Amino acid sequence: MTGSSMPGMRPDGGGPEATDSFANAEAVVDPGNAASADPGNPGQDWMQRMVRRETLSSRAILAGVAALLVTLLAIYALLESTLRAIGQPAWLVDPLTAVQRASNLPDGVSRPLLGVIGVVLALLGLMFFVTSVLPGKRAKHVLSDPRLAVVVDDEVIAAALARTARLAAGVTPEQVMVIVSRREAVVNIRPTSGVAVPEAAVLAAVEQEIRQMALTPRPAVHVNVGRTGVIGV
Amino acid sequence: MNGTPRVLNRVLLALVGLFFLAAGLSLAALAGLPAVDRWWHAWAGTATKQLRSLTSRTTLPGQTSSWVWIVVSLGLIVLVVALVALMANQGKGRVGVLARGYGDSAQAPGSGRVTISSAVAEQALKSALADRTDLVSATVTAYEVRGRTGLKIRVLPRQGAAPQQVAADVSALVSALDAVLGRRLPVLLCIGAGARTRFTRAERVR
Repeated sequence: MTGSSMPGMRPDGGGPEATDSFANAEAVVDPGNAASADPGNPGQDWMQRMVRRETLSSRAILAGVAALLVTLLAIYALLESTLRAIGQPAWLVDPLTAVQRASNLPDGVSRPLLGVIGVVLALLGLMFFVTSVLPGKRAKHVLSDPRLAVVVDDEVIAAALARTARLAAGVTPEQVMVIVSRREAVVNIRPTSGVAVPEAAVLAAVEQEIRQMALTPRPAVHVNVGRTGVIGV
Repeated sequence: MNGTPRVLNRVLLALVGLFFLAAGLSLAALAGLPAVDRWWHAWAGTATKQLRSLTSRTTLPGQTSSWVWIVVSLGLIVLVVALVALMANQGKGRVGVLARGYGDSAQAPGSGRVTISSAVAEQALKSALADRTDLVSATVTAYEVRGRTGLKIRVLPRQGAAPQQVAADVSALVSALDAVLGRRLPVLLCIGAGARTRFTRAERVR
Protein backbone atom coordinates (compact mmCIF):
# COMPACT_ATOMS: atom_id res chain seq x y z
CA MET A 1 0.00 0.00 0.00
CA THR A 2 2.98 2.31 -0.04
CA GLY A 3 1.97 4.45 -2.96
CA SER A 4 4.84 6.89 -2.70
CA SER A 5 5.60 6.85 -6.39
CA MET A 6 5.32 10.29 -7.88
CA PRO A 7 5.16 10.41 -11.67
CA GLY A 8 7.62 12.85 -13.11
CA MET A 9 9.39 13.47 -9.81
CA ARG A 10 12.83 12.11 -9.16
CA PRO A 11 14.05 12.68 -5.61
CA ASP A 12 17.72 12.39 -6.54
CA GLY A 13 19.67 14.44 -9.03
CA GLY A 14 16.67 15.78 -10.91
CA GLY A 15 16.46 19.17 -9.20
CA PRO A 16 16.77 22.27 -11.35
CA GLU A 17 20.20 23.80 -10.83
CA ALA A 18 18.97 27.38 -10.90
CA THR A 19 17.29 27.00 -7.55
CA ASP A 20 20.65 26.98 -5.77
CA SER A 21 20.92 30.72 -6.20
CA PHE A 22 17.37 31.69 -5.35
CA ALA A 23 17.32 35.08 -3.72
CA ASN A 24 15.64 33.80 -0.58
CA ALA A 25 18.63 31.94 0.82
CA GLU A 26 16.98 30.62 3.98
CA ALA A 27 14.56 28.57 1.93
CA VAL A 28 17.13 26.97 -0.33
CA VAL A 29 17.87 23.32 0.29
CA ASP A 30 20.38 21.02 -1.26
CA PRO A 31 18.38 18.62 -3.43
CA GLY A 32 20.48 15.73 -2.10
CA ASN A 33 19.41 15.93 1.54
CA ALA A 34 15.99 17.48 1.18
CA ALA A 35 14.39 14.60 3.03
CA SER A 36 16.37 15.01 6.24
CA ALA A 37 14.58 16.74 9.12
CA ASP A 38 15.78 20.25 9.82
CA PRO A 39 15.14 21.59 13.35
CA GLY A 40 15.66 25.21 12.33
CA ASN A 41 13.05 24.99 9.60
CA PRO A 42 11.88 28.56 8.87
CA GLY A 43 8.42 27.28 7.94
CA GLN A 44 7.82 26.07 11.48
CA ASP A 45 5.82 29.12 12.52
CA TRP A 46 3.73 28.89 9.34
CA MET A 47 2.88 25.30 10.17
CA GLN A 48 2.09 26.08 13.81
CA ARG A 49 -0.19 28.91 12.74
CA MET A 50 -1.97 26.72 10.22
CA VAL A 51 -2.37 23.91 12.76
CA ARG A 52 -3.92 26.36 15.18
CA ARG A 53 -6.26 27.59 12.46
CA GLU A 54 -7.21 24.04 11.61
CA THR A 55 -7.82 22.80 15.16
CA LEU A 56 -9.83 25.82 16.34
CA SER A 57 -13.20 26.54 14.83
CA SER A 58 -13.53 29.51 12.50
CA ARG A 59 -15.57 32.51 13.55
CA ALA A 60 -15.56 33.99 10.04
CA ILE A 61 -19.28 33.50 9.40
CA LEU A 62 -20.52 34.84 12.72
CA ALA A 63 -18.06 37.73 12.59
CA GLY A 64 -19.31 38.48 9.08
CA VAL A 65 -22.90 38.52 10.33
CA ALA A 66 -21.99 40.84 13.21
CA ALA A 67 -20.01 43.12 10.90
CA LEU A 68 -22.90 43.21 8.39
CA LEU A 69 -25.39 44.05 11.14
CA VAL A 70 -23.27 46.90 12.46
CA THR A 71 -22.56 48.11 8.91
CA LEU A 72 -26.26 48.31 8.06
CA LEU A 73 -27.00 50.23 11.29
CA ALA A 74 -24.06 52.55 10.58
CA ILE A 75 -25.19 53.17 6.98
CA TYR A 76 -28.68 54.11 8.14
CA ALA A 77 -27.27 56.44 10.83
CA LEU A 78 -24.94 57.89 8.21
CA LEU A 79 -27.87 58.65 5.92
CA GLU A 80 -29.85 60.43 8.62
CA SER A 81 -26.90 62.41 9.95
CA THR A 82 -25.86 63.45 6.42
CA LEU A 83 -29.42 64.59 5.64
CA ARG A 84 -29.30 66.59 8.84
CA ALA A 85 -25.86 68.02 8.01
CA ILE A 86 -26.96 69.30 4.60
CA GLY A 87 -30.19 70.63 6.02
CA GLN A 88 -32.57 68.24 4.26
CA PRO A 89 -35.69 66.73 5.83
CA ALA A 90 -35.11 63.37 7.56
CA TRP A 91 -35.97 60.10 5.79
CA LEU A 92 -37.49 58.13 8.68
CA VAL A 93 -36.55 59.98 11.83
CA ASP A 94 -34.40 62.99 12.63
CA PRO A 95 -31.40 62.07 14.87
CA LEU A 96 -32.34 64.56 17.60
CA THR A 97 -35.93 63.33 17.63
CA ALA A 98 -34.66 59.77 17.89
CA VAL A 99 -32.52 60.70 20.90
CA GLN A 100 -35.48 62.49 22.44
CA ARG A 101 -37.70 59.44 21.98
CA ALA A 102 -35.06 57.16 23.46
CA SER A 103 -34.72 59.41 26.50
CA ASN A 104 -38.40 59.03 27.49
CA LEU A 105 -38.34 55.38 26.46
CA PRO A 106 -40.70 53.34 28.59
CA ASP A 107 -43.39 55.80 27.48
CA GLY A 108 -44.64 55.39 23.95
CA VAL A 109 -43.97 51.63 23.69
CA SER A 110 -45.81 48.81 25.45
CA ARG A 111 -43.66 47.52 28.31
CA PRO A 112 -43.95 43.79 27.50
CA LEU A 113 -42.84 44.44 23.91
CA LEU A 114 -39.89 46.50 25.14
CA GLY A 115 -38.94 43.72 27.57
CA VAL A 116 -39.10 41.05 24.85
CA ILE A 117 -36.99 43.15 22.46
CA GLY A 118 -34.48 43.68 25.27
CA VAL A 119 -34.23 39.97 26.07
CA VAL A 120 -33.82 39.00 22.40
CA LEU A 121 -31.09 41.62 21.93
CA ALA A 122 -29.33 40.43 25.09
CA LEU A 123 -29.44 36.79 23.93
CA LEU A 124 -28.02 37.75 20.52
CA GLY A 125 -25.25 39.69 22.26
CA LEU A 126 -24.56 36.78 24.60
CA MET A 127 -24.25 34.42 21.62
CA PHE A 128 -21.71 36.72 19.92
CA PHE A 129 -19.78 37.23 23.14
CA VAL A 130 -19.65 33.57 24.13
CA THR A 131 -18.48 32.54 20.65
CA SER A 132 -15.72 35.09 20.79
CA VAL A 133 -14.50 34.06 24.23
CA LEU A 134 -14.74 30.24 24.18
CA PRO A 135 -11.71 28.41 22.74
CA GLY A 136 -13.81 26.51 20.18
CA LYS A 137 -11.69 23.39 19.84
CA ARG A 138 -12.59 21.15 16.93
CA ALA A 139 -12.72 17.35 17.16
CA LYS A 140 -9.22 16.93 15.74
CA HIS A 141 -5.86 15.66 16.89
CA VAL A 142 -2.35 16.60 15.84
CA LEU A 143 -0.22 13.75 14.54
CA SER A 144 3.53 14.19 14.77
CA ASP A 145 5.62 13.90 11.62
CA PRO A 146 9.21 15.06 11.02
CA ARG A 147 8.38 16.90 7.78
CA LEU A 148 4.70 17.84 7.82
CA ALA A 149 2.23 19.39 10.20
CA VAL A 150 -0.58 16.82 10.32
CA VAL A 151 -4.11 17.36 11.64
CA VAL A 152 -6.44 14.35 11.77
CA ASP A 153 -10.21 14.35 12.25
CA ASP A 154 -11.25 12.27 15.26
CA GLU A 155 -13.60 10.38 12.95
CA VAL A 156 -10.65 9.06 10.92
CA ILE A 157 -8.86 7.96 14.10
CA ALA A 158 -12.03 6.22 15.30
CA ALA A 159 -12.42 4.37 11.98
CA ALA A 160 -8.80 3.21 12.06
CA LEU A 161 -9.11 2.05 15.67
CA ALA A 162 -12.37 0.27 14.85
CA ARG A 163 -10.62 -1.62 12.08
CA THR A 164 -7.81 -2.67 14.43
CA ALA A 165 -10.26 -3.69 17.16
CA ARG A 166 -12.38 -5.66 14.68
CA LEU A 167 -9.37 -7.59 13.40
CA ALA A 168 -8.14 -8.33 16.95
CA ALA A 169 -11.57 -9.39 18.19
CA GLY A 170 -12.58 -11.34 15.09
CA VAL A 171 -15.99 -9.70 14.76
CA THR A 172 -17.83 -7.92 11.95
CA PRO A 173 -17.56 -4.13 11.47
CA GLU A 174 -21.12 -3.67 12.73
CA GLN A 175 -20.22 -5.11 16.14
CA VAL A 176 -17.58 -2.50 16.88
CA MET A 177 -18.17 1.12 17.75
CA VAL A 178 -15.37 3.50 18.68
CA ILE A 179 -15.81 6.96 20.19
CA VAL A 180 -12.77 9.23 20.13
CA SER A 181 -12.72 12.41 22.18
CA ARG A 182 -9.82 14.66 23.07
CA ARG A 183 -8.35 12.53 25.85
CA GLU A 184 -10.24 9.26 25.54
CA ALA A 185 -10.90 6.50 23.01
CA VAL A 186 -13.71 4.14 23.99
CA VAL A 187 -14.00 0.86 22.07
CA ASN A 188 -17.42 -0.82 22.42
CA ILE A 189 -17.64 -4.41 21.18
CA ARG A 190 -20.76 -6.58 21.00
CA PRO A 191 -19.43 -10.15 20.95
CA THR A 192 -20.77 -12.88 18.70
CA SER A 193 -22.97 -15.18 20.81
CA GLY A 194 -20.97 -18.10 22.14
CA VAL A 195 -17.58 -16.69 21.15
CA ALA A 196 -15.50 -14.92 23.79
CA VAL A 197 -13.81 -11.66 22.80
CA PRO A 198 -10.10 -11.56 23.78
CA GLU A 199 -10.41 -8.26 25.64
CA ALA A 200 -6.73 -7.97 26.59
CA ALA A 201 -5.63 -8.65 23.02
CA VAL A 202 -8.05 -6.00 21.67
CA LEU A 203 -6.80 -3.47 24.22
CA ALA A 204 -3.17 -4.22 23.33
CA ALA A 205 -3.83 -3.96 19.60
CA VAL A 206 -5.73 -0.67 19.88
CA GLU A 207 -3.12 0.79 22.23
CA GLN A 208 -0.34 -0.14 19.84
CA GLU A 209 -2.20 1.44 16.93
CA ILE A 210 -2.75 4.66 18.88
CA ARG A 211 0.92 4.71 19.91
CA GLN A 212 1.94 4.41 16.26
CA MET A 213 -0.26 7.40 15.43
CA ALA A 214 1.75 9.56 17.89
CA LEU A 215 -1.17 11.87 18.63
CA THR A 216 -1.16 14.95 20.83
CA PRO A 217 -2.94 14.77 23.19
CA ARG A 218 -2.82 10.98 23.27
CA PRO A 219 -6.24 9.52 24.14
CA ALA A 220 -6.44 6.81 26.83
CA VAL A 221 -7.99 3.57 25.53
CA HIS A 222 -10.95 1.83 27.19
CA VAL A 223 -12.45 -1.40 25.88
CA ASN A 224 -16.03 -2.33 26.78
CA VAL A 225 -17.26 -5.79 25.83
CA GLY A 226 -21.05 -6.07 25.82
CA ARG A 227 -22.78 -8.46 28.27
CA THR A 228 -25.06 -9.82 25.56
CA GLY A 229 -23.95 -11.33 22.28
CA VAL A 230 -25.42 -11.05 18.81
CA ILE A 231 -25.83 -13.48 15.93
CA GLY A 232 -25.98 -12.79 12.22
CA VAL A 233 -25.26 -9.06 12.26
CA MET B 1 -10.16 30.78 5.53
CA ASN B 2 -6.45 31.14 5.85
CA GLY B 3 -6.06 34.87 5.48
CA THR B 4 -8.97 35.42 7.82
CA PRO B 5 -8.18 38.02 10.49
CA ARG B 6 -8.99 35.73 13.38
CA VAL B 7 -8.00 37.98 16.28
CA LEU B 8 -9.93 40.89 14.76
CA ASN B 9 -12.94 38.63 14.30
CA ARG B 10 -12.84 37.71 17.97
CA VAL B 11 -12.48 41.32 19.06
CA LEU B 12 -15.34 42.42 16.80
CA LEU B 13 -17.58 39.62 18.05
CA ALA B 14 -16.77 40.44 21.67
CA LEU B 15 -17.45 44.17 21.20
CA VAL B 16 -20.68 43.69 19.26
CA GLY B 17 -21.78 41.00 21.71
CA LEU B 18 -21.13 43.17 24.75
CA PHE B 19 -22.90 46.12 23.12
CA PHE B 20 -26.01 44.09 22.26
CA LEU B 21 -25.95 42.42 25.67
CA ALA B 22 -25.78 45.78 27.47
CA ALA B 23 -28.43 47.38 25.24
CA GLY B 24 -30.77 44.41 25.58
CA LEU B 25 -30.37 44.15 29.35
CA SER B 26 -30.98 47.86 29.85
CA LEU B 27 -34.08 47.76 27.64
CA ALA B 28 -35.41 44.84 29.65
CA ALA B 29 -34.58 46.62 32.94
CA LEU B 30 -36.29 49.77 31.66
CA ALA B 31 -39.40 47.77 30.87
CA GLY B 32 -39.42 45.81 34.12
CA LEU B 33 -37.94 47.91 36.93
CA PRO B 34 -39.57 51.26 37.89
CA ALA B 35 -36.41 52.43 39.71
CA VAL B 36 -34.31 52.12 36.53
CA ASP B 37 -37.11 53.87 34.69
CA ARG B 38 -36.98 56.92 37.02
CA TRP B 39 -33.17 57.09 36.90
CA TRP B 40 -33.13 56.88 33.10
CA HIS B 41 -35.71 59.68 32.76
CA ALA B 42 -33.66 61.98 34.95
CA TRP B 43 -30.31 61.19 33.30
CA ALA B 44 -31.44 61.00 29.68
CA GLY B 45 -33.56 64.15 30.03
CA THR B 46 -30.55 66.30 30.96
CA ALA B 47 -28.34 64.56 28.39
CA THR B 48 -30.83 65.32 25.62
CA LYS B 49 -31.05 68.98 26.68
CA GLN B 50 -27.25 69.25 26.60
CA LEU B 51 -27.14 67.66 23.15
CA ARG B 52 -29.75 70.09 21.84
CA SER B 53 -27.89 73.10 23.18
CA LEU B 54 -24.63 71.71 21.75
CA THR B 55 -26.10 71.40 18.25
CA SER B 56 -27.63 74.89 18.40
CA ARG B 57 -24.33 76.38 19.66
CA THR B 58 -22.26 74.68 16.96
CA THR B 59 -24.39 75.81 14.04
CA LEU B 60 -22.15 77.78 11.70
CA PRO B 61 -23.30 81.25 10.68
CA GLY B 62 -25.31 81.09 7.48
CA GLN B 63 -25.93 77.35 7.86
CA THR B 64 -29.13 75.63 8.84
CA SER B 65 -27.60 72.84 10.90
CA SER B 66 -24.66 72.06 13.16
CA TRP B 67 -21.25 70.83 12.02
CA VAL B 68 -21.59 68.11 14.65
CA TRP B 69 -23.58 66.16 12.06
CA ILE B 70 -20.76 66.42 9.54
CA VAL B 71 -18.33 65.02 12.13
CA VAL B 72 -20.76 62.21 12.96
CA SER B 73 -21.15 61.41 9.25
CA LEU B 74 -17.39 61.28 8.72
CA GLY B 75 -16.97 58.99 11.75
CA LEU B 76 -19.66 56.67 10.42
CA ILE B 77 -18.03 56.59 6.97
CA VAL B 78 -14.75 55.49 8.59
CA LEU B 79 -16.61 52.79 10.57
CA VAL B 80 -18.40 51.48 7.47
CA VAL B 81 -15.18 51.36 5.43
CA ALA B 82 -13.37 49.50 8.23
CA LEU B 83 -16.16 46.93 8.56
CA VAL B 84 -16.40 46.38 4.80
CA ALA B 85 -12.62 45.88 4.68
CA LEU B 86 -12.89 43.34 7.51
CA MET B 87 -15.68 41.46 5.72
CA ALA B 88 -13.76 41.47 2.43
CA ASN B 89 -10.72 39.96 4.13
CA GLN B 90 -12.51 36.83 5.32
CA GLY B 91 -11.20 33.75 3.58
CA LYS B 92 -8.32 35.33 1.69
CA GLY B 93 -4.86 33.85 1.44
CA ARG B 94 -4.82 31.58 -1.62
CA VAL B 95 -1.92 32.39 -3.89
CA GLY B 96 -0.93 31.39 -7.41
CA VAL B 97 2.83 31.65 -7.11
CA LEU B 98 4.71 29.21 -4.94
CA ALA B 99 8.20 30.63 -5.16
CA ARG B 100 10.07 33.41 -6.91
CA GLY B 101 13.77 33.77 -7.30
CA TYR B 102 16.62 34.83 -9.46
CA GLY B 103 18.81 32.29 -11.23
CA ASP B 104 22.54 32.89 -11.57
CA SER B 105 23.63 33.46 -15.17
CA ALA B 106 26.62 31.14 -14.64
CA GLN B 107 24.24 28.23 -14.31
CA ALA B 108 22.80 28.11 -17.80
CA PRO B 109 19.52 26.17 -17.49
CA GLY B 110 17.90 28.46 -14.96
CA SER B 111 19.33 31.91 -15.49
CA GLY B 112 17.03 34.86 -15.17
CA ARG B 113 13.89 35.18 -13.15
CA VAL B 114 12.41 31.88 -11.97
CA THR B 115 8.79 31.68 -10.90
CA ILE B 116 7.22 28.44 -9.75
CA SER B 117 3.44 28.41 -10.02
CA SER B 118 1.36 26.85 -7.27
CA ALA B 119 -0.14 24.60 -9.92
CA VAL B 120 3.19 22.72 -10.12
CA ALA B 121 2.95 21.47 -6.56
CA GLU B 122 -0.81 21.14 -6.63
CA GLN B 123 -0.95 18.99 -9.75
CA ALA B 124 2.13 16.91 -8.93
CA LEU B 125 0.81 15.96 -5.50
CA LYS B 126 -2.74 15.47 -6.69
CA SER B 127 -1.73 13.16 -9.50
CA ALA B 128 0.57 11.23 -7.17
CA LEU B 129 -2.28 10.75 -4.70
CA ALA B 130 -4.98 10.13 -7.31
CA ASP B 131 -4.32 6.45 -7.95
CA ARG B 132 -4.31 5.46 -4.29
CA THR B 133 -7.26 3.24 -3.45
CA ASP B 134 -7.37 4.18 0.24
CA LEU B 135 -8.01 7.87 -0.45
CA VAL B 136 -11.39 9.07 -1.66
CA SER B 137 -10.08 12.48 -2.64
CA ALA B 138 -7.12 14.80 -2.27
CA THR B 139 -6.99 18.57 -2.67
CA VAL B 140 -3.86 20.69 -2.62
CA THR B 141 -3.86 24.49 -2.30
CA ALA B 142 -1.13 27.06 -1.74
CA TYR B 143 -1.73 29.62 0.98
CA GLU B 144 0.13 32.69 2.04
CA VAL B 145 0.04 33.51 5.73
CA ARG B 146 2.13 36.39 7.09
CA GLY B 147 4.22 36.60 3.93
CA ARG B 148 5.14 32.91 3.83
CA THR B 149 3.75 30.56 1.23
CA GLY B 150 2.96 26.99 2.13
CA LEU B 151 0.88 24.09 0.93
CA LYS B 152 -2.27 22.75 2.48
CA ILE B 153 -3.01 19.17 1.51
CA ARG B 154 -6.41 17.81 2.42
CA VAL B 155 -7.03 14.10 1.97
CA LEU B 156 -10.15 12.10 2.71
CA PRO B 157 -9.15 8.50 3.41
CA ARG B 158 -11.62 5.64 3.25
CA GLN B 159 -13.01 4.44 6.55
CA GLY B 160 -10.46 2.35 8.40
CA ALA B 161 -7.34 3.63 6.66
CA ALA B 162 -4.52 4.20 9.16
CA PRO B 163 -3.83 7.97 9.37
CA GLN B 164 -0.18 7.47 10.34
CA GLN B 165 0.36 5.44 7.15
CA VAL B 166 -1.28 8.13 5.01
CA ALA B 167 0.82 10.80 6.76
CA ALA B 168 4.04 8.84 6.21
CA ASP B 169 3.30 8.36 2.50
CA VAL B 170 2.39 12.01 1.95
CA SER B 171 5.53 12.95 3.88
CA ALA B 172 7.62 10.92 1.41
CA LEU B 173 5.87 12.61 -1.52
CA VAL B 174 6.52 16.04 -0.06
CA SER B 175 10.19 15.20 0.42
CA ALA B 176 10.35 14.30 -3.27
CA LEU B 177 8.66 17.61 -4.06
CA ASP B 178 11.24 19.43 -1.91
CA ALA B 179 13.96 17.94 -4.07
CA VAL B 180 12.24 18.92 -7.31
CA LEU B 181 11.43 22.48 -6.27
CA GLY B 182 14.77 23.07 -4.60
CA ARG B 183 13.17 24.62 -1.56
CA ARG B 184 11.43 23.35 1.49
CA LEU B 185 7.88 24.62 1.71
CA PRO B 186 5.94 24.43 4.95
CA VAL B 187 3.18 21.85 4.47
CA LEU B 188 0.00 21.23 6.42
CA LEU B 189 -1.71 17.87 5.92
CA CYS B 190 -5.35 17.58 6.96
CA ILE B 191 -6.67 14.05 7.15
CA GLY B 192 -10.40 14.47 7.24
CA ALA B 193 -13.72 12.71 7.06
CA GLY B 194 -16.85 13.78 5.29
CA ALA B 195 -20.00 12.51 3.66
CA ARG B 196 -17.93 11.04 0.84
CA THR B 197 -15.90 8.84 3.17
CA ARG B 198 -18.93 7.80 5.20
CA PHE B 199 -20.95 6.46 2.30
CA THR B 200 -18.25 4.82 0.22
CA ARG B 201 -17.11 1.30 0.98
CA ALA B 202 -14.51 0.78 3.64
CA GLU B 203 -10.93 -0.09 2.79
CA ARG B 204 -10.73 -3.86 3.19
CA VAL B 205 -7.97 -5.22 1.04
CA ARG B 206 -4.63 -4.01 2.27
